[in-house]
Parts: sequence; C-alpha cells; structure tokens
Amino acid sequence: MEAVHDYTALKPELAAAANDHGEPKWVVDRRLAAIDDLADAALPEVNRFDIHRWPLTPAEPLAFSPSATDLAADVPVAADHVQIVQVGQTTVAVNLPADLADQGVILTDIFTAFREHPELTQPAFMTDIIKSNEDRLTSFHTAFLNAGVFLYVPQGVVIDAPIEIHLVQDSTQDDRPLVSHVLVIAGTDSHFAVTQHLTTQGDHANLASCVVEVRAQANSEVHFSSFDELGANTTTYLNRRANISRDATVDWAIGLMNDGDTFGDFDSELIGENSKSDAKVITLTGGRQRVGVNTRVTNRGKKSTGNILQRGVIMEKSTLIFNGIGHIIHGAAGANAEQENRVLMMSSKAHGDANPILLIDENDVLAGHAASVGQVDAKQMYYLMSRGITEPQAKRLVIRGFLSAVIQAIPAKDVRQNLTDTIERKLENGAEVE
Amino acid sequence: MATLEVKDLHVEVKDDEQNKTQEILKGVNLTMKTGEIHAIMGPNGTGKSTLSQTIMGQPNYHVTQGDILLNGESILKMPVDERARKGLFLGMQYPAEIQGVTNAEFLRAAMNARRADDDQISVMAFLKELDKNLALLDMSESMTERYLNEGFSGGEKKRNEILQLLMIKPTFALLDEIDSGLDIDALKVVSKGVNSMRGDNFGSLIITHYQRLLNYIVPDVVHVMMGGRIVKTGGADLAKTLEKEGYAGLRDDLGLDVDLVDEN
Ligand SMILES: Nc1ncnc2c1ncn2[C@@H]1O[C@H](COP(=O)(O)OP(=O)(O)O)[C@@H](O)[C@H]1O
Ligand SMILES: [Mg+2]
Repeated sequence: MEAVHDYTALKPELAAAANDHGEPKWVVDRRLAAIDDLADAALPEVNRFDIHRWPLTPAEPLAFSPSATDLAADVPVAADHVQIVQVGQTTVAVNLPADLADQGVILTDIFTAFREHPELTQPAFMTDIIKSNEDRLTSFHTAFLNAGVFLYVPQGVVIDAPIEIHLVQDSTQDDRPLVSHVLVIAGTDSHFAVTQHLTTQGDHANLASCVVEVRAQANSEVHFSSFDELGANTTTYLNRRANISRDATVDWAIGLMNDGDTFGDFDSELIGENSKSDAKVITLTGGRQRVGVNTRVTNRGKKSTGNILQRGVIMEKSTLIFNGIGHIIHGAAGANAEQENRVLMMSSKAHGDANPILLIDENDVLAGHAASVGQVDAKQMYYLMSRGITEPQAKRLVIRGFLSAVIQAIPAKDVRQNLTDTIERKLENGAEVE
Repeated sequence: MATLEVKDLHVEVKDDEQNKTQEILKGVNLTMKTGEIHAIMGPNGTGKSTLSQTIMGQPNYHVTQGDILLNGESILKMPVDERARKGLFLGMQYPAEIQGVTNAEFLRAAMNARRADDDQISVMAFLKELDKNLALLDMSESMTERYLNEGFSGGEKKRNEILQLLMIKPTFALLDEIDSGLDIDALKVVSKGVNSMRGDNFGSLIITHYQRLLNYIVPDVVHVMMGGRIVKTGGADLAKTLEKEGYAGLRDDLGLDVDLVDEN
C-alpha cells in the first residue's frame, strides 16, 4: 500500500493555489470536497491486477507552473488543422477555424472553460459522467487537476476533419504530475472525430492521471481515438468514459503504447434507447511493464448495442490483464453486447490474461464473448514463410494484423502510420532483448 | 536446368486430436526438371497434399525415411522460408487469411525476401509487374489493397495464389488442387496464368483429383498416387484413361490393396 498521506492537511494550500489560479468558486469547492473523499475512498477494482503499490495518488501540493513550449516541437501544428496542443499545463497552440467558431464550437483549455462556460462545464465535469467520489483515483483527479481541454460541438454541427488533442507530459523535472482532464460535449445531432495523442518529454518519474469524459447527446456521433505514448518512467492512470444518449454513437479506438505501468479504465454508458458504442483497445507491452485494462460497456437503454474488442501482444517479462466487462441492466430489452479479448504471448516469461466478465440482468438480449491467450498463429506464419518471408518479419506482419482493428479505426492517415511505426519499433526492441 | 528429387520418401503425421502418429507417405519417388510440368492425380486422402506440404517444409509432417533434393542438395533441414527463397513455391489448397496486411504489401515483401538488401524492387517496377499480372488473371486492382485473403471467395483465393506465383516466379511450383471450386471460366484464367510461366526455367507439380484441369494445363508427365505411393507414371493420356476407368479400376488392374475414401 502506498504511504497513507494526510491529504486534508493540504486543503488550505490547495484552496490558495486554486484561487490564485483564478478558478471559480465551484471548482475550488469541488476540489476541496474531493480531498475529503480521498481519505476514505478505495482504489477501483481491477480483476487479477494489483495497483495498490503504484504511486497513483502522490501527496504533492497543487502547483501551477509553465513548461517550455519547445517541448512540443515534434507536434505538427498547421493552421488548417483543428487542434489544441498542450505541454504540461501550458497551452502551446489552439487552431479552431473561424467557420467552426462561428458555429459555436469551443476548443480551449479546461480552466478557461470553467471560467467562461460554467453553464456547460459545471454540470458535466466529474459529476455526471464520471463521479468525483467514485474511487480514490477519481477523487485525486478532481482535487489535483492541473491541465486539460474542453471541446464543445453544438447541436447539428458536423466536423469533417478530426479534432486533434496533443498532450505532452513535461517530465523534465521531478514532482510534475500531469493531472489532465479532457471534457467533450457533443450536442444533439452533432458528428465529429477526436484524435488524442499523449506523449512524454523528459525521463523523470511522474504520474499521469488522464481522464476523458464524453457526453454524447441524442443522435450525435463521436469517434474518439487515442494514441497513448507516455514514457517509461511515467505511471499512468487513464479513465475514459462516455454517457451515450438516445440514437447516439461513441466509438473508441485506443492504441495503448505507453512504455510505463498503466492502468486503464474505459467505459461506455449506453443510456439512451438505440445508443451504440464500439470500444477497441490494442496494446503492446515489453520489459517489466505492467498494464491492466478494464473496458466496460453498460447497456441501460433499450436496443442499445455495445461491442468490446481488446487485443494485446506481450513481450519479455511484461504483464497484461484485459478485463472486458459487459453489464446489461434490467429493462434494457433488445440490447446487444459482444466482446472479444485476446492476448498474444511472445515470451514465456510474460504474463497475460483475458477475462470476459458478463453481468446480465435482462432476458431479452443478445450477448456473446470470446477470449484467448495464445501464441502467434502457426498457419499464418507458415503461409508467409512459404513465400520466402523470414520468421521475424512474418511475425511482425502477423502481429500487425492481429492489432489492425484499432489502426484501421483511426481517421487520420499520419496517425495510423505513426501508430504502425511505433508497433514495429516496439516489436523490434522486444525481439532484441528476448 | 534445375532438378527436384524426391527419394523413397516416408512421412508421418501426428493427429493432435487422437494423439496418434500415422504414416501417410510410404516411399515416394519422383524426379522433375525445369521445363517440365508434372501432374499428380489420386483419390482423396491418398497423401497428395502431404507430399506437397512436406516438400515445402510444413512442420507437422515428419520425414522418417528418404530425402528431398533441390539441385542435388538436401532441403530436409531447411526451414520453410529458406526453401522458398531457394525457389520452391506451394500454391495451397487452403491459404491462410491475414488481417491488416494488404495483398500488395505482402507481395512486395515476398518478392524482396529473395532479393539482396541493396537490390529491393522499386515501387514503379513492382506496380508495373503487378498490373501486368492482374490483367492476365482478370483480377481487379482493388484486390491488391484488400487484406491478404481475408474474406476472399474460394475462387478469389485460388487466383490470388496464382498471382503470387506470377509475381514471385519460383523455379518449382507445387500447385495443390488449384482447380477445386472453380467454374470453367475461372479454371481457364488460372490455367492461362500457369501456362504463362511455362519455359526452360520453370517446373511445376500440379496436384489434382480431376482430369479436367489437365485439358488446360497439359502435363508432360502424369503420376498416379494411391495409398501413399506413386503407383503408375505415364504421359498426358494416362490422365484420360484414368478419367474413364476411375481410380478403383486402376487399383484393380494393378492388383493393389488400397482403400478408397470415395470410390469413383
Ligand atoms: N495435418 C494433418 N493432421 C492429421 N492427419 C492428416 C494431416 N494431413 C493429412 N492427414 C491425413 O493424411 C491422409 C492424407 O491426406 P492428404 O495428404 O491431405 O490427402 P490428399 O491431398 O491426397 O487428399 C489423410 O488420411 C489425412 O487425414
Ligand atoms: Mg489434398
């Protein structure tokens, strides 16, 4: 167990820091309430995966300090892209074309949004989708929030280009936890895609607590993809959840390529009738890395449809646990829930598990699941090698195929290419150390 | 001139479900040279696929006796990919499907695998060769951007095997039942592809259950296989005789004690 901290002692300092930061009273109050919750809140439950000793809730005072903007030098910034770029707590660039701004689209840093758009942010932020007091990690996130993005797409607005969110963690120093919140509100009948990219600069050991909340209003459609590439010395907590209304769709495509220990909690709440979600997660683990993922879909609405697809490749001495949690609530007649969780073992010293967990409280449903932990498909290997392709290259191709579900679901071609390159690089690194 | 020799080949396969080993090939002898097309005919379950898979090096098949020589060199200890780079190709009865890898990307990787690192095929040269062969096989260009065999119909898979043959240009091609499941038009297209490879630097072993294919790809030599052995060898007319008399007829003529799975 992580050392028990006296968080309440931090309250006066935290309130002062938040006030100096110019935060509205409701935000400061929410932080203080979250501190109170922290004391008793339990860690979230992760089947067959232990995060108790992870430094996920460091008792460092809330501090606001700028980061060097050149840490984002690698991020392609272009005027014709819709994008926001942040390094640590510093917003480096916001590109929102005038025609979108004219239609009422908001893309800004989260603290500006708290001040300028409380009517949108106050009812949503850590209250309605994810509740601040759900567990220790959500409470911590609210209390120590220090960065983030707000995206609002009003009713009926359709955006063709993916909206890019680039978050660069500044780990050039110690004691710089990144506690970042992305809040997305999709108005009725709106339609757009978000591509998020998380990276780390610097190799100091720090926490990243990155939460995404999506509220998808009736008949909206949101495609959220995230390419997570946080550094080896970052301990990461990810929580991404969508509340999905009637006839709305939220799809997740998550390429979890962090180099450090990661706990991911992904969730689609199918609240409205005929709501839909497709959650795809791929990951590749190496070294002594530990990755645990809960991907949950809860069918509440009638005729709601939720799919989970998780695929992971584990190398060297790493650990990967995929829990697929399908929960169908009583009354969700005509609901549909499918899930597939697969782990490919590339090393006998790696440890992997794929657990489908089904909780079905309604009779009139269609639900199915598949899970496996296995080796590279021998038939595929033989076929490729029979054409002269060497064993290591054949393996890389088969693995890329195995992971392709998420690659395909990413809307931007350059992001797809970057993800493919990262996978290849990780496979090569993994093979060398084997 | 290149040669492929199979000498007194005995092969066992282990049935994983029943966990028992069974001898399938019981002394196969065969010699082929480039410039020749050989056909192997035989009833179902007689070991034709076993022979082709063993030559290619499929790891489930274990050689217990005999040898396979390519240009006088034993290939038994070589892994599959090395055999392929030495010039062997197997058009498979049941090709694997691979998601996420496009046909075009796979073809290029296969062609480059047998070329030196400093002599990789250029994109232009590759596309030119690809277009030529797609046209020859009456295949749409969109097939190359689809994932390797994924969701292909039976006929599309066969065509795709022949496309690979034309692109890779092996020395010896073993073609296992490339006619099964093809309608007459597709059969003609596939045959045209194989015939286009004919020449002094190419040899092929065509495995088929039916004589029909051999009307389009006329073989120089026909072997009949039964009970894990080659029981008769002759010219192209042997296939026609067989078609008339059936495998059972030939078996009885030769006085063999072999069970046929489906007497025909
Ligand atoms: N991989 C395998 N595992 C188990 N039995 C096999 C395998 N391959 C072939 N056999 C058995 O070997 C015999 C010959 O099969 P095969 O070579 O496929 O014949 P053919 O191609 O002539 O129809 C059959 O009895 C078949 O069941
Ligand atoms: Mg066969």
